[in-house]
Amino acid sequence: MPQEMRNRLRVIVRTVMVLIVLMGTMLFMPVSALAAGEISLDASGTAAALEGVSFAVDDFARNNKGTARAYEGEDRGYRYPLAGQAAFAAVALEDELLIYLPRETSASFGLDFTEDTAAQENLLALLFALDEANADGGLTLKQLDLPAVFTSSDSVAHESCLIHFGVELEPGYYYATITAEPDARPAPDISKQALFVETGMLVPADTLAIQAAPEGWDAFTNFLTNMDYRPFWVSLRTSLTAMIFVFVLGLAAARLSLKASEHVKDVLDAVFTIPMVLPPTVIGFLLLVVFGNSTDVGRWLIDHGIELVFSWPAAVIAATVVSFPLLYRTARGAFEAQDANMLDAARTLGWGEGRIFFKLMLPLAWPSIAAGTVLAFARAMGEFGATLFVAGNYAGVTQTMPIAIYFQWMGGRSDVATFWVFVVILISFVVILFINLYARHTQKFRLGTGTKGEREERDEKDVKEEKYVRDVKSEKSEKDEGRGT
Amino acid sequence: MFQVKKEGKRSTGRFVALLLSVVLIASTALGLAACGGNTPAPDSGTASSGSASSGAEPAAAAVELQIFAANSLERALPEVQALYTSENPNVSFADSQFKGSGDLVTELQGGAPADILITASSATMDTAVENGNIDEATRSNMFQNDLIIVKQAGSDVTISALTDVNGSAISKVAIGDADAVPAGSYANQSLFTIGLYSTDSGKGGEYLEGFADKVVIQSSVGNVAKTVATGDAQIGFVYTSDLYRYDDIEQAFVVPADTHKNIVYPGAVVAGSANASEADRFLEFCLTNPDALRIWAQYGFEVAAS
Repeated sequence: MPQEMRNRLRVIVRTVMVLIVLMGTMLFMPVSALAAGEISLDASGTAAALEGVSFAVDDFARNNKGTARAYEGEDRGYRYPLAGQAAFAAVALEDELLIYLPRETSASFGLDFTEDTAAQENLLALLFALDEANADGGLTLKQLDLPAVFTSSDSVAHESCLIHFGVELEPGYYYATITAEPDARPAPDISKQALFVETGMLVPADTLAIQAAPEGWDAFTNFLTNMDYRPFWVSLRTSLTAMIFVFVLGLAAARLSLKASEHVKDVLDAVFTIPMVLPPTVIGFLLLVVFGNSTDVGRWLIDHGIELVFSWPAAVIAATVVSFPLLYRTARGAFEAQDANMLDAARTLGWGEGRIFFKLMLPLAWPSIAAGTVLAFARAMGEFGATLFVAGNYAGVTQTMPIAIYFQWMGGRSDVATFWVFVVILISFVVILFINLYARHTQKFRLGTGTKGEREERDEKDVKEEKYVRDVKSEKSEKDEGRGT
Repeated sequence: MFQVKKEGKRSTGRFVALLLSVVLIASTALGLAACGGNTPAPDSGTASSGSASSGAEPAAAAVELQIFAANSLERALPEVQALYTSENPNVSFADSQFKGSGDLVTELQGGAPADILITASSATMDTAVENGNIDEATRSNMFQNDLIIVKQAGSDVTISALTDVNGSAISKVAIGDADAVPAGSYANQSLFTIGLYSTDSGKGGEYLEGFADKVVIQSSVGNVAKTVATGDAQIGFVYTSDLYRYDDIEQAFVVPADTHKNIVYPGAVVAGSANASEADRFLEFCLTNPDALRIWAQYGFEVAAS
């Protein structure tokens, strides 16, 4: 079958190409796009140093909001946390950027920030770089382009407000607070005076070790080391457990529907197959009705200790229900294809139905059942809708790979989502490849359906079946002999 | 007979061997990368089923809290949780659920076990109270937030007034589903003030004809932000705090606070929580601990004055 081979090859090549592209995107995604210049920025985004400058910034934070919450019952105005007692504070006001530096801090570097324009510019350069790294889409100092005002005074009047720096509330915790001037009319909105307040510590540049964000391959390995792999284990655990149920139930259902009378058979088949065609949300909904707290049935079950919703067993049930038809159908198809005469022959030889099923039907149908199991496994791994409905999204418990993809993507972590997409594609690819290889391996077990070699295969099968019948016969005669003596 | 058995066994063996190899390939690929860092917890199946031992709890007894919180808290809250665990090693947190507040209230009503509920509007918390799922005595306003309009980073869209939302330059506007997403109903309240939405409550109404075609409804405020970040909508209504948890979006316009109800996040302990006292302690910690305040400030959550 050269045509078929070529097709398969084409599919493989295409898949590999997609995987390479995905790998490529992942490699470049975590690379930060920060401008280098003379400023070196720490990977954490909280520290920066400027080449040739004696001071650097550490423990930087951008407070986008403060709080007006009373401290121990006492109104302390609207307050923003500062990095420490010696910390600087940069208050982005409507009309200016007010930068506070404690006199002791300036002195410790032998500088006067209120006068020394070179020092001011260096600090602003550091501040702008750190601000840009921490703004995350909020207004940046660069965009605002406010005139900078430096102060070492710990209380500054601005419009009808007072801004205090270095206010210690709890021991070791310092704040910048904004209070209204007592006689200001109308009372100003203290929460809206500052757009945001930035803070950090000035440290000697030579004591600060800046670690640049990793790039390229390092970023990739870093990404893999920090990755949360639990979705993979949850998926594997859920699918494997579901397979145990699917295997037993699927075979039982296949046999049951075979044994039933014509009409019952059709109905049973419809019931067993319907999860395959129903949208997973319908299955999820029904499971929620059966096991959830909002219905009588669910409440009855909960009262009797069966509390399944939003737990791992629920994920297993969801996976079992959706993947069950795949095994059921392949098994039933394989059973139906078996020669009725052969089974009858076994019956005439006194084999019980159970023995026929386990010793004759099952081994003969095995290749199909195996392929069906793997397919069902893949389906269980890919289950999303019903699982989300009844089991929710609990990391390490019910968060399977498909659910992780959705929530990581929507949560803004598209690199993690891409990783899981890649893993799921890889697994699906391996599964289908496995089925193909296995099918080729066991082709001699099947009645050939292709045009070429059909006869040989069929002949081979006949020989095999004859062999079975011969074996059955010889065993029977052995038994008879045994009875005879 | 012997022959039959043998055939069966051989193919079974081959199948198992192949299946094992598949599992092995997949797990080594991941396991190598994981550097053995993440082994699945064997007991995690029961972790969220709320079957924690009830009854009297000594102070140091291990407690696991399950939090249901508004979607916008997705980045900030886990940091505060980690802080709490570092100070109270006996308290751990089950995977907190961050969804649209309306969805969380529905799930709570549906029987999902939780200890704490934090929603993004008083209305959704009221519903949970009406459902009898909340210990009302523990309810308090935790945070305030602002409603803003965001655009994709680097986009040249300009919004200088609320009416620009229906401007000719805008073809898609992402808004949260008002039934489940409080940010959506706040947005609709603002849109009502300029005649683009039909009810002042921001719920159950219709968008003005012509504008309705531009509206993309999303199931959480995070999804709104994501839709804008990917460029599938030019603008979207989110909270200020959402800026700081998504890349690729930037502030375009602050929606005037007087056009919508005050945005407050009430938090409360869930009725019947087995860990009610610890849950209450955590809520108090969120609002008073100075290190927690730093986290909220950086993520743009204003701790409510009272």
